[in-house]
Amino acid sequence: MVAWGLAALLLALAGVCLLERHLWRACQGFVAFALLMALAWLLLGAPWLALAEALFGALLTGGTLLWTLRGRGSLPRLAELDQTPQRGLWMAPLRWLLVLCWLGLIGAALVWLLDDLSSTSLLAATGLLILGLGLWAFVTHRHLLRRLLAFNLLGSGVFLLLAGVAGPSAEVWGLILVGLVVALLGSVLGATLLLRLHAQADQITLNAVFGASADSAR
Amino acid sequence: MNPTPLHLLWLLCAPLALGLLAWVRPPRHSGLVLLLALPLPLVALWLALGLEAGPMAGRLGLGPLVLHWRLDGLAALLWLLTHLLLLASALYAVGYARATVLDARAYAWLWPLLGGLALGLGLIWIAADLLLLYAGLELMGLCAVGMMLLPGSIEALSAGLRYLLYALVGSLAWLLGIALLLGAWSRLDLAGLAALAQPDAVTQIALALLTSGLLLKAAIFPLHSWLAPVHGSAWTPVSALHGALVVKASFFILLTLWRVLLPEAIAGAWTLGALGSLAVLWGGVQAWRAAGLKQLVAWSTVGQLGYLMLAFPLLAGTSANIATLAWQGTWLQLAGHALAKAAMFMAVGNLLLSTGKNQLEGLTGTSRRLPLSLLTFGLAAVTLMGLPPSAGFTAKWLLLQAALAAGQWPWVLVLVLGTLLTAIYIFRVLRCSFVEDAPEPMLCTLPLGMDLIAFTLALAAIALGLAAGWPLSLLGQTVVP
Amino acid sequence: MIELPLAPLLYTALLWPLLLGLRALLRSLIAPSPARVTLDWLWISAPLPALALAVLGADGSLPLQTWLLGGRWELDGQRRLLLAFTALLWGLAGWYARGYLAAEQAQAAAGDTDSRSRLVRFALPWQLTLCGNLLLLVAEDIASFYLGFALMTFAAYALVIHCNTAKARVGGLAYLAMAVLGEAMILAGLLWGAGSASALTLSQLRAALATADAGLWMGLLLWLGFGVKAGVIGLHLWLPLAHPVAPTPASAVLSGAMIKAGLVGWLSTLPLGMAVVDASFHALGQVMLSAGLAGAFAAALLGIVQRHPKAVLAYSSVSQMGMLTALVAVGLLRPESWPALSALVILFAAHHGLSKGALFLGVGISRHPPPWPGWLLWTLLALPGLSLAGALGSGLLTKWGTKTVLDAAGEHTLVIWLSLAAVGTTVLMVRTLWCQWQQRARASADGQRALAPMPLAWLLSILATLSLPFWADRLAGDLTGGRGGGFAWPPLAALPDLFWPLGLGLLLALTLGWSLRRVAPWLSHWLPAGDLWWPVAKGCRWLWRISRSALRGLSALQAAWVAWWLARERDGLTGLEVLTRAEGWLRRQLAILLLAVAVGLAAVLLFSAQSTPLWPQYLSRHAS
Repeated sequence: MVAWGLAALLLALAGVCLLERHLWRACQGFVAFALLMALAWLLLGAPWLALAEALFGALLTGGTLLWTLRGRGSLPRLAELDQTPQRGLWMAPLRWLLVLCWLGLIGAALVWLLDDLSSTSLLAATGLLILGLGLWAFVTHRHLLRRLLAFNLLGSGVFLLLAGVAGPSAEVWGLILVGLVVALLGSVLGATLLLRLHAQADQITLNAVFGASADSAR
Repeated sequence: MNPTPLHLLWLLCAPLALGLLAWVRPPRHSGLVLLLALPLPLVALWLALGLEAGPMAGRLGLGPLVLHWRLDGLAALLWLLTHLLLLASALYAVGYARATVLDARAYAWLWPLLGGLALGLGLIWIAADLLLLYAGLELMGLCAVGMMLLPGSIEALSAGLRYLLYALVGSLAWLLGIALLLGAWSRLDLAGLAALAQPDAVTQIALALLTSGLLLKAAIFPLHSWLAPVHGSAWTPVSALHGALVVKASFFILLTLWRVLLPEAIAGAWTLGALGSLAVLWGGVQAWRAAGLKQLVAWSTVGQLGYLMLAFPLLAGTSANIATLAWQGTWLQLAGHALAKAAMFMAVGNLLLSTGKNQLEGLTGTSRRLPLSLLTFGLAAVTLMGLPPSAGFTAKWLLLQAALAAGQWPWVLVLVLGTLLTAIYIFRVLRCSFVEDAPEPMLCTLPLGMDLIAFTLALAAIALGLAAGWPLSLLGQTVVP
Repeated sequence: MIELPLAPLLYTALLWPLLLGLRALLRSLIAPSPARVTLDWLWISAPLPALALAVLGADGSLPLQTWLLGGRWELDGQRRLLLAFTALLWGLAGWYARGYLAAEQAQAAAGDTDSRSRLVRFALPWQLTLCGNLLLLVAEDIASFYLGFALMTFAAYALVIHCNTAKARVGGLAYLAMAVLGEAMILAGLLWGAGSASALTLSQLRAALATADAGLWMGLLLWLGFGVKAGVIGLHLWLPLAHPVAPTPASAVLSGAMIKAGLVGWLSTLPLGMAVVDASFHALGQVMLSAGLAGAFAAALLGIVQRHPKAVLAYSSVSQMGMLTALVAVGLLRPESWPALSALVILFAAHHGLSKGALFLGVGISRHPPPWPGWLLWTLLALPGLSLAGALGSGLLTKWGTKTVLDAAGEHTLVIWLSLAAVGTTVLMVRTLWCQWQQRARASADGQRALAPMPLAWLLSILATLSLPFWADRLAGDLTGGRGGGFAWPPLAALPDLFWPLGLGLLLALTLGWSLRRVAPWLSHWLPAGDLWWPVAKGCRWLWRISRSALRGLSALQAAWVAWWLARERDGLTGLEVLTRAEGWLRRQLAILLLAVAVGLAAVLLFSAQSTPLWPQYLSRHAS
């Protein structure tokens, strides 16, 4: 029961984190999501991992993202609301199709691996859904901060899936730990770059967006 | 004295230690760098020579976690190559810092990143389980991104951010594949997987995910598009190292995993071969059309990486003779290209520094004024085009023989077309440099050492073709992983 | 007779001219003093060692291990005679040249650098040509022979164009064009023959040619190639063009000695007088015979209308070589009579060489006559002509010998034809003297001294011509030994038989000269020296013009073609811009591409897999 609740809460928080256009709230959602992930690791019997998740994910990654939003030092602040234009609609079906294909592929593999429904399969399913959400967000969003969030969520989904599929073992904890450190470093580096790029070129997306006025970015 | 695991550990950690030392006190003289870093390639050479008896392997227990490593002939050769190129780049970087105005902090950061890169590459070469490979790959990737960002210009930031973002997502795809493999076979060590894993649906899906991530990191068509912008703005020694080694490491992992998990998947291997062929053609055409010199060299990397992908169809399900030819040809192509590409990036960097222009048109009159740089470029191009007696020639010859013996004639066509395209874009550069009627350019002189390093590397690429016997004899033992 | 060892004589004979040529060159380069005489006595002495070799050398052969492919130089009766008259002629011509170029020497001594350089351009090629000529005579290995032949041919070009006038350049062009053609055919024939039989020496080559599969073709190539030098009709074009323009001593050696190199080539390479010869050579013999006789008559007819004495003499040479060609052809047609005939052919060559040399030298004498009585001068001028026409000396000897041998062989018709050709020779000789008489100059006070080098050398050459019958026997040695008693003089009873062509010729010359004196200028305008050369040259010019306009058209076509391709290249580059845009799209859609690659690869792997599909496996696993 706790597991189901936890899974639902994780999914809801991931949704908030990825769908919310207000960046401040989205980042807060991410901190909450990371704390919940730490709780999940604790429940799965990996206290060290829970500590690492709380430290690296919630505190450092979340803190960096929030700090980025607040503006660091003399660098100009990012706009709190994502006002980058949506991606073209004509590609949307393709995006959906591809994301669903991924989910279908991984889902098929999961069905093949996990014969009975148990807490691990719930974990894997949650991971899969979060992964799908993250993928979709990463493909769809333009704003770099939101793409960083999507990447983090995607990573968390993969960790959950990994834990669900392979069960609690030293190798799994090792992989997740390395992944956490990489995600932290990547997020910090990405956020720093984003801020400098914003300061130097007034750019918050990878490619110059046609039709986006400078005001909307500000 | 025989090599022991402790020597390996020293060779892994020494570059990082040196890098941290240099972070505190960035070197200003290449002599010091040479003195401190020269033992590294020497020890790597000693390791490679010590492998006559057979590969070394072992495991490292970290509490409940067991990590596997293995040093065979191929790994030793690649490690030696890594240290040689690292040494060359480090020496070049010292000269580069003196010839240009670099931000002091950024220059200091270069060194620990170089050390980290060496550690990551070393881990990848000797790793025999997926966890170690993962750690090495991520370390290498983050260090590479960090080095690319050092110039701090808007283009560098923008291109580097793209590289970072997609490298991260690529590693998630790769982690996802590992997760499925771990779930299916409960193993991470390659030997165990090779013994246990069946080519069933889960393995195939896992490998598809792994492969997509690694293709992105290896800049194989159509996931190559982050590469050219990154090189356009990066520092020359960083570009040289990246084009020569970093993308190759991903290819190395990819080939290892396919040999372990799906050695007989012919259709998949042909798909990868087709992607490689497209890369050869696409890279060649884009290099032909490139406006900037560094972009041209970067696109040439895309094209040359495509040749490596031909290894998949030539190794999958072919007879032992053909597989041996393809195996040797692939690694020789990798080594030859690594040396030549580093030399070419450095030569191009020298040309750019001297003329102060990034465009091909800025090269007018350099044939007379900068003959050594241009000669280096030409020698490196000999290897890239695959003219005898370079390593590129020997490698393509082996691949060609393998393709003909296997009856896989499409790759013959690709080899020929690729060579043709390479010749076209190389001669485009040479033609620009021999134009004499343009106004006399203002050239600034560079330290001779910078030219000499590039020249030595280009010569090494040619010498590798002449003395391919020893590396090939080391490779011969490792056809079947 | 004293006999000296062969090797030192051979080396000296060949190296001495080279050293002297080198000396002339070095002296002109180094010695600052212009007072030095270029054509000094030492320079004239160049052929003396060769003459010594011919007279004093012992028969034998000299193998040379380190030379080319392993050389072999030989001296025997045939070579000795050829060498003797060649060296003699070269020596006399060299001496004559000292007088002929005296004015030039004086100018050079006065400090005229142009004259000096002209002198060097004469002195050096002269010695090179001499060296080549001697080498080809003593060579027995193919490589030396060809080397000597080519050296002689190409060095002589410098002698031909020495005067550097417009006519000289035309003559030089004709000489060079024909020489290159000849060299090409010779080289082809030699390489083919030597290669197919792996022969290294000329006698091996002859033996191989006789029975080789494509022997006829090799023989044809060699016959035509040497025929250029020997002035076979049709290939003789350079002779009447090059002789008049060359300096007179050079003309003398060209016509006297060098033409014989073609004959030596035939004798050395064609399977003459061999018992076992491929039947096809019979056909070649017929062709040679016809060509020889045709040349003998056609050249006589063409020569009659020439106005320049040297041109007449050149045509006379073509005519004489035609006769020699016919005699050589008998060697192919009737091998059994060749041993006797070959000695006569050599004698004929020596006789013609010396007489023609004396005649050519005489042309210069009639231009710059010494202060001698007129009757003496003109009698002396006529003597070698009479000899050539077969009235006295070696001419008579040759004619009689030939007649006997051919009669013995049963070739009566050929004898008649040759006698008729001799009529032509007589007419040509009269024509030469007539031209010389018309273009004669008065002996002037500032002219030649009575015993200047020119008249002396000329006198000596006449002496040599007339005395040839007396020393040819000694030198030829075993060549005539087979018949015993050397070359025989004709009995008195046979004289009418031998003299009727002379009489007929004189008669014909007088009547023709009288009746045709009106049309003669017209005729000589329509039949200029070099006959076929002019239409050929015109045709070549016409071809050149045609091909140039065709080339112009082609280049216009090519320009249009290039322009078309450039336009296509531009189109292609514009097309490539699409690729650049496509690259931008790839860059923007990297994430989607990542997903698509993974999905596509998974699809390929799953659908191609040999294992059973996914769901049945899952179900079967559940069932178990």
